[in-house]
Amino acid sequence: MITTEAVEAMVKVIAPYIGDVMARSAIEAHCQKLGIVGGTATHEQVEALLGKLGGGLNVFLGRDKAASVIAEARGALATVEGSR
Amino acid sequence: MRGSRGLRALPWVVLGLAVALYVGWAASSSSGLYARALTPHRMLVLAAVLKLVYLLAAAAWAFQCRDRLEAGNPARLAWFLLSLGLLATFVGQLSLAPLQLVRNVTPFPSVADIYYLLSYPLFIAAFLVLLKAYRETGFPIGSAAERVGIVTGVGVVAAIVAAPILGPVVTTDTPLLERILTVAYPILDLVLLLPLALLLRVALRLRGSHAGEVWLLLLGGFVFLCAGDIAFAYFQSLGQQHLDPFVHATYVLSYGLIAGGAHRQLELLKP
Repeated sequence: MITTEAVEAMVKVIAPYIGDVMARSAIEAHCQKLGIVGGTATHEQVEALLGKLGGGLNVFLGRDKAASVIAEARGALATVEGSR
Repeated sequence: MRGSRGLRALPWVVLGLAVALYVGWAASSSSGLYARALTPHRMLVLAAVLKLVYLLAAAAWAFQCRDRLEAGNPARLAWFLLSLGLLATFVGQLSLAPLQLVRNVTPFPSVADIYYLLSYPLFIAAFLVLLKAYRETGFPIGSAAERVGIVTGVGVVAAIVAAPILGPVVTTDTPLLERILTVAYPILDLVLLLPLALLLRVALRLRGSHAGEVWLLLLGGFVFLCAGDIAFAYFQSLGQQHLDPFVHATYVLSYGLIAGGAHRQLELLKP
């Protein structure tokens, strides 16, 4: 999956909850930690990234709502992937 | 839809009117409205009721936030500590209420100060727990050097602002306990401001979002709490009690904003 497309899809879903700036900086920070540096990311890397983001969202939204936001992000990523 | 939006705006309209009423009282206490209808005793009663309602609501909503967060969630402890701090403030306010309602006096120092003082370590601990939670979950809260810079900067500015305000407070010839308490509140507020400044940095990154709204309200409320304490210390020590309406306005606004933030967080936690 193209990393920039994946990032944009995730930001679009998460931004209403934690803001565009925080969503982008959190994703960038996690990408660095997970070694997602190139133009593409593997399915495993994207899943690991979603897991990390879900853990962070827990603090603001609680486990259940964070899980539903991450599920929504996963759906958005599938749509992006399907449209290519 | 419009009705529901209007209903949501109602508490903010009430808060705005209440604050305007106290600012108006400070600005023109001799006007007919305040001389005949809204007498000082009525205004004191209204302030006591507003503060109690906002504090109780804030404590209850903060506790419900703790309840809605699952065990093991790092923010759960923070909301619990916040609810305890708000409850302590509520109990302090409640212990003053009979004297304010019946005898039209607000004694200082009083048993209420025990509860007010107790609330500070709870608030400070709540903010530190939240900062730790944000850091552990990978949200960027700034490098260690950046955080030290913010804390040092806020500490220095706060000290520069506080020193000339607290100077006259220390040198007044009021009883020792009164002087200690009058100085203790602003100092505790300055300590509270340090984690608040770090959280404000996080809140700025949350702007435009649901979580950003929560933190804008909460942090705004605590900033007004600090301002109220400093104003109270200054007016009390200088015998400027005629400026008390400003202090009431600041506290009412503070508690109202904190209650609003806790309520917004509770809504955010609903599935």
